[in-house]
Amino acid sequence: MSELIMQAVYSGLLQGGSYALIALGLALVFGAMKIINLAHGELVLLAAYIAYTVETKFGANPLAAIPVAVVIVTLTSAVIYFLVGRIKTNREINSLTLTYGVGVILTNLVLLIWSADVRATSSPWMQEAFVLGPLYSMRSEVLFFGVSVVLIGGIWWWLSRSWYGRAVRAVSSNRDAAKLMGINPGLTELVSFIVAGIMAAFAGVALFSYGVVTPAFGGVLTVKAFIITVLAGIGSIPGVLIGAVLLGVVEALTVTLASSALQELAGMGLFLLVLFIMPNGLFGATRRRG
Amino acid sequence: MNKAKTIALAMAALAAGMGMAHADELRVGVEVPLTGPLARVGMGTEEGIRVAAEVFNKTNGKHTIKLITVDDESAPAKAVAAVEKLANEKVLAVTGGYGSNNISPASDAADKLGLVYVSSGGVDDSLVNSGRKNFFRINNSAGYQKALVGLISDLNVKSVSIVYSTKEATQSLATGIEKTLAAKGVKVSMHAFDPAITDFKPIINKIKLQDRSEFIAMSGYENDYVGILRAARVLKPNVKGIAGVWSLATPKMASDFPDLMQNVYGTAVLPYPVAFNTPDGKLFADTYRKLFNKEPDYLGQFGYVQSMLLFEAIARAADKGTLQKNGVAEEMRKTDRQTLIGRVQFDAKGDNKNFTQRMGQHQGKQIVLVWPKDAATGKPVYPGVPW
Repeated sequence: MSELIMQAVYSGLLQGGSYALIALGLALVFGAMKIINLAHGELVLLAAYIAYTVETKFGANPLAAIPVAVVIVTLTSAVIYFLVGRIKTNREINSLTLTYGVGVILTNLVLLIWSADVRATSSPWMQEAFVLGPLYSMRSEVLFFGVSVVLIGGIWWWLSRSWYGRAVRAVSSNRDAAKLMGINPGLTELVSFIVAGIMAAFAGVALFSYGVVTPAFGGVLTVKAFIITVLAGIGSIPGVLIGAVLLGVVEALTVTLASSALQELAGMGLFLLVLFIMPNGLFGATRRRG
Repeated sequence: MNKAKTIALAMAALAAGMGMAHADELRVGVEVPLTGPLARVGMGTEEGIRVAAEVFNKTNGKHTIKLITVDDESAPAKAVAAVEKLANEKVLAVTGGYGSNNISPASDAADKLGLVYVSSGGVDDSLVNSGRKNFFRINNSAGYQKALVGLISDLNVKSVSIVYSTKEATQSLATGIEKTLAAKGVKVSMHAFDPAITDFKPIINKIKLQDRSEFIAMSGYENDYVGILRAARVLKPNVKGIAGVWSLATPKMASDFPDLMQNVYGTAVLPYPVAFNTPDGKLFADTYRKLFNKEPDYLGQFGYVQSMLLFEAIARAADKGTLQKNGVAEEMRKTDRQTLIGRVQFDAKGDNKNFTQRMGQHQGKQIVLVWPKDAATGKPVYPGVPW
């Protein structure tokens, strides 16, 4: 039994890393602009399909798709920002409808270009087992867990140390006051969308490397990312990693100790429990005090 | 005067001809998921339906089928709306549907509107046990169950772990397999999984360390199979074989995931490379290749068979003048003919009572039929797993 639990915790940890990578972009935009980008999952999906094209057309490793995915997904993310920027009233609510619509368009675009077939990497290196004593995983899972931690560290550093990162936090805290301090809110928000696009590009390539993608998968990714963002506490970047890992481990332990059919239910149960006890999420209150 | 007379006669003849063509044009509704989670299977089925219409229109000199297609977006409510829209378009019957949860309300709507609804995309038994009068399907859970259980029995397997999605059809199939195998004295362990799951390692680890079964049986869909096989490849459970049902022993899976598929069993109508021996089969394959520039797959075959049977029934009803008197349903019930999936006859509930699948195994770049013996094109590689 202990071997089973160890493997479940390990699998959950790695799964949490991938969840965090997917949620990072959404959490950033949500924290900076209070906008829930419902097309975020589709941005991740777009990057995954770009990785598929790079692998099948050029025979390259999916990692080689990262620069291409970053350019295309970031541009798409910027276009979404410009569309959101045109909303004059009730931006937080109206942006939901707008980004949902963009998500539908992107899903159908993916369907049109890449068809509805199931896609996953055929790279043997990515799929091979990585054995750590009694623990097993795919190499790609370990690789992208590391990437996830590095990117979260990078985003955290950027938000707390760089000028633009501080500007994002200032705009998030008080848009008008930030304006008086010489910050251009529009440009700052665009930067946060661009960074979110970069994160989505990495997440998509990661997803293609260890998972399976279909055009309808975007919505599932957005929901998962949203759960983690709220679980973490709005605007908390380290909270995203901790929340995601917690979710991953709870899901994996549910499969091992109870039934795999209850995995999603356990995840939602955790989400509701945390919100019931800590309405601001795991790290939301700390952020506000800060 | 003569010229004017000639023109008038020509126009009258043209009008009469148009009238005749219009009278012989039989409108058939196609309700399939072309977007959403079932888009891939929906598109595959729709390809077969289009091939059936093409073949029918070429070979039947008297009637012409006109297809009117509506995307049900993989959603039950949209499936009902699609059937209602097709009824407004004055279709004579509906072919298509995928997923028991979509087919159930859609066929209910068709039943209320007095339209025949024929499908190959729903194997849940409740579809034929709910008293629908105009519902027909050419495949069913029992046929898949017979094939998988038959293979497992012939391989003399003593213990099986069944990994299944909690979707209606896959769950119904898994519980059926469990009951049948348990009755045969096989030790069975069940592992249900939520369709949203992407990491199957905890399940496979349970099979490896707790169940220690000889065989893994999967009841899911393509994305599930890839996830399960990847997890199994990483954890390498000590099993002798691994099998699934639909969408697994297909040329697409062989070409897209060659490393994962080696020695994996799945239900299959035909071997690959495809060998069509009957004139009907050759006509289907040639038309399919011409229309879509690729090799036909099982979804296309099912879509073709269900639609061809429907078109023939509609044509017979049209000849008898019973189209408006529930003649299509009556003619469907009289169906008894050999098709690409074997002999088709419908029972009183609209189920194909002869349906039995075959089992194929990925061997190299081929899919070899290994069960039943009389249809086998090769021997099973057993023990044999992809890792």
